[in-house]
Amino acid sequence: MSKKKNFTSSNVEIRKKPLGMRIWNHRGFYLMFLPVLIYVLIVYYWPMLGIRYSFYDYTLKKMEFVGLKHFVSLFKDKDFWISFKNTLELSIIKLLLTTAASVIVSVFINEMANLFAKKTLQTIIYLPHFMSWTVTAAIFTLFLSTSSTGMVNETLKSWGLIQKSIDFLHETNLWRPVFYIVNLWKETGWGTVIFLATLSGINPELYEAADIDGASRMQKIWYVTVPALLNTIIVVLILNLAKVLNMFESVFVMYNSRVYDVADVISTYVYRKTFLTAIPNYGYTTAIGLFKSLVGGALVLLCNFASKKVRGRGIL
Amino acid sequence: MKKKILSVLLATAMVVSLTACGGGDGNTQTNDAEQSGGNTEQSSGNTEQSDGNTDTSSEEEYVLEKLHIVVDGTLTANVDSGQDAFIEQWEAAVSEKLGHPIELTIDQLDHSDYAGTVSRYLTTGTPGDGQYPDALIMSASMFREYAPTGLLWNLADAYENAEFQNRLQLKSVNENMKTSTGELYGFAPTYGNGCVTYIKQSWLDAVGKTVDDIKTYDDYYALLKEFHDGDPDGDGTTGKTYGVIAAGFGKLDEAPFINYMPEFWWGAYPDFYQKDGTWVDGFSEQATADALDRLAQAYADGLIDPDTEDASTKVAREKFFSNDQSTSEGVFTYWAGTWLRNLTDSMDKSEIDVSLGDDRLVQLPPIKEIKDTWGGYINREAPVWVITDDGDGSNAREQAIFDALLDTMLDGDVVQTLWTYGAEDVHWSTKAESFTTNPDDPEKKKDYEYADGEFHLMQSPNDPNTVWKKNHLDSVLVIAPLTNGFVNDDPLVTKGNQFFTDNCIDAPTAASCETLTEVKADLATDKQTWMNKVVTGQMSSADAIAEYQAKYGDVVATILEELNAQ
Repeated sequence: MSKKKNFTSSNVEIRKKPLGMRIWNHRGFYLMFLPVLIYVLIVYYWPMLGIRYSFYDYTLKKMEFVGLKHFVSLFKDKDFWISFKNTLELSIIKLLLTTAASVIVSVFINEMANLFAKKTLQTIIYLPHFMSWTVTAAIFTLFLSTSSTGMVNETLKSWGLIQKSIDFLHETNLWRPVFYIVNLWKETGWGTVIFLATLSGINPELYEAADIDGASRMQKIWYVTVPALLNTIIVVLILNLAKVLNMFESVFVMYNSRVYDVADVISTYVYRKTFLTAIPNYGYTTAIGLFKSLVGGALVLLCNFASKKVRGRGIL
Repeated sequence: MKKKILSVLLATAMVVSLTACGGGDGNTQTNDAEQSGGNTEQSSGNTEQSDGNTDTSSEEEYVLEKLHIVVDGTLTANVDSGQDAFIEQWEAAVSEKLGHPIELTIDQLDHSDYAGTVSRYLTTGTPGDGQYPDALIMSASMFREYAPTGLLWNLADAYENAEFQNRLQLKSVNENMKTSTGELYGFAPTYGNGCVTYIKQSWLDAVGKTVDDIKTYDDYYALLKEFHDGDPDGDGTTGKTYGVIAAGFGKLDEAPFINYMPEFWWGAYPDFYQKDGTWVDGFSEQATADALDRLAQAYADGLIDPDTEDASTKVAREKFFSNDQSTSEGVFTYWAGTWLRNLTDSMDKSEIDVSLGDDRLVQLPPIKEIKDTWGGYINREAPVWVITDDGDGSNAREQAIFDALLDTMLDGDVVQTLWTYGAEDVHWSTKAESFTTNPDDPEKKKDYEYADGEFHLMQSPNDPNTVWKKNHLDSVLVIAPLTNGFVNDDPLVTKGNQFFTDNCIDAPTAASCETLTEVKADLATDKQTWMNKVVTGQMSSADAIAEYQAKYGDVVATILEELNAQ
């Protein structure tokens, strides 16, 4: 096998120094990097050794190698597949909805002429993002309660629109819409940050040119603003797509056993299997975690590929 | 060159700082090992040592210098309520009894995630690692699952030889926990207690009824209906109040499952239980379907507060005694005894029915259907203390833990008083003193005055407007009473305990077998889901039980087979 040789522009062969020599020459940098390496190894890679438990029955003091038993059980587990499907559906729909809403709100904010109103609106719509999911869920649970303390139901009843309270958070056909609305309320404002930054970078001459061409306001939005945002929208979607399996808190604080069929996601499923079981088998739940990581890894690679295609460079 | 020197210096500083940061752990581990050694070397604390030391160590030689216990919220002297003083006084008293110093550390876990955290400690830890408990509290359900695992020490002999034996009044509590071959893996210092149904007196007055009018399920149902349809809170509106609230329509993940809504669940026991000596599956019985139908009807009629479905015990309690009674409930089934006092005090704080004083709540005797089927309110299986077995083949460490912790816990004197009321001069005292609760509120202000030598509870360390009630042991439920005459003679608590004692029966023994342990969490979750769906009208009870049998039929058959083979 021939060794690849490096040449300078004047065709002079560059002889690479031995690795040890190169390390010694750059020892200062390597020494500086050492603490980071140690940190990464200890904090990120050492815990990964726990992956091996997915091949063991690991419960209390029993640790017995069982090969792929947990993966076989996992693939036969109907509840797991429900949670897997729910994770993808909830995450992707939520991502599309919040991105679309953020884009629309950003465009509207960008069109506002009054600077004070613009800043005030921005501040107001950012605020929900800083509210914890626990508080958010408590507020919406109170608003949507079917008891006589539930503001929404009592208002609808007093207006004569409904006779009986609607159980928004317990009906399987209503839970998801409520979940998406709560997510939109909480995250749309924050999602506008990146789009507003992009909008502020659009060359004003493009709008001036559009004005000269007699474009209406809507035409300027459609033919100037939206195309300028398109690349950012795709980047945001791609970057978030890699994280779709990491959904826990927002579901955990809002779901209940009656809506497991439409709300249970992988993380909540693992949580129940691990922490609500008196004597859990950590092997099984580790296997679920490993499977989730593998799918997550595949999604990252897919997104990297998509990013290369769209942006000309990857995300890795 | 300067850059190189600077980079070397920077790197060195970072490495040193990193080492220093990690140094704590390293030291801790060393200390833990040393500490562990302090307790175990003489008794062959780990396997390697045991090989060399077993012959030379004896139970008499073992000196327990440190005791690490894990507790839940039932130790009310928590870190915000004088736990330091409790520990200090416990160490002094027990050191004196044992004849050598002993150090107590308490790991008080979040009550709601207790089982999960304990499971992690026991799975990933090892005795002496600083986190692994020497002894801990377990609910009856947890205990049934852990007892056969080999992690718990068989304390049958220690229990038989304990000093408190000659003062035991309720021997059956622990005797009933022994296995068929005589092993005893847990120790219950009290009996279990249970729930009774409380009704607001003012609401009864408002609908013109007395508790004597409520004899049957129909009477009870009619009362709830009047509470919902009428205006029992007197705010001028109807239909906004509810009959009853609880922390769930049933608590199907924790024995005895049905004690929060007993009037609806009469005759049913939605778990595995022994019927005429044979284990049966109560969830698939007609009695469970009937109970679910009763709950569904009451829910549809608006008698059960819809918040019941997701309410924690705290939420249910607070809604019951909320100062806004216009959306509250008239009936609440909750723990007996001390809780009659707690609920009354909470209503007082919320300024509800102030004129009724300690007569705000009335206890409903079990309705006829409960008496005819179960026999009374359910007295749950008692929570227990367990000692972890380090598996070294020697009982020395475990016996020493028993002597230090459990034998002294019921000494009838100083240590038992600590566990019952808390620390002297922090939670209780015999010194002359006077204090006032709610001094700034003329309506709630209450003066207390005690003479020298008079036992009394003091102001709560974390709330000077309330009087401390108890620590871990309930003086009335304890199986060996105090001998020093320190009795909290609150008449309301006494009345509550007496009422429960007069109207309770023991809960069925909790089932435990290998297959059940594996599926228990899934089973409980699914049962809870089916129950909620039936009660809220999403499915019929027949469909729920059919789904249950379709999903778990084979598993249930295996469980029953294992249980009946025991």
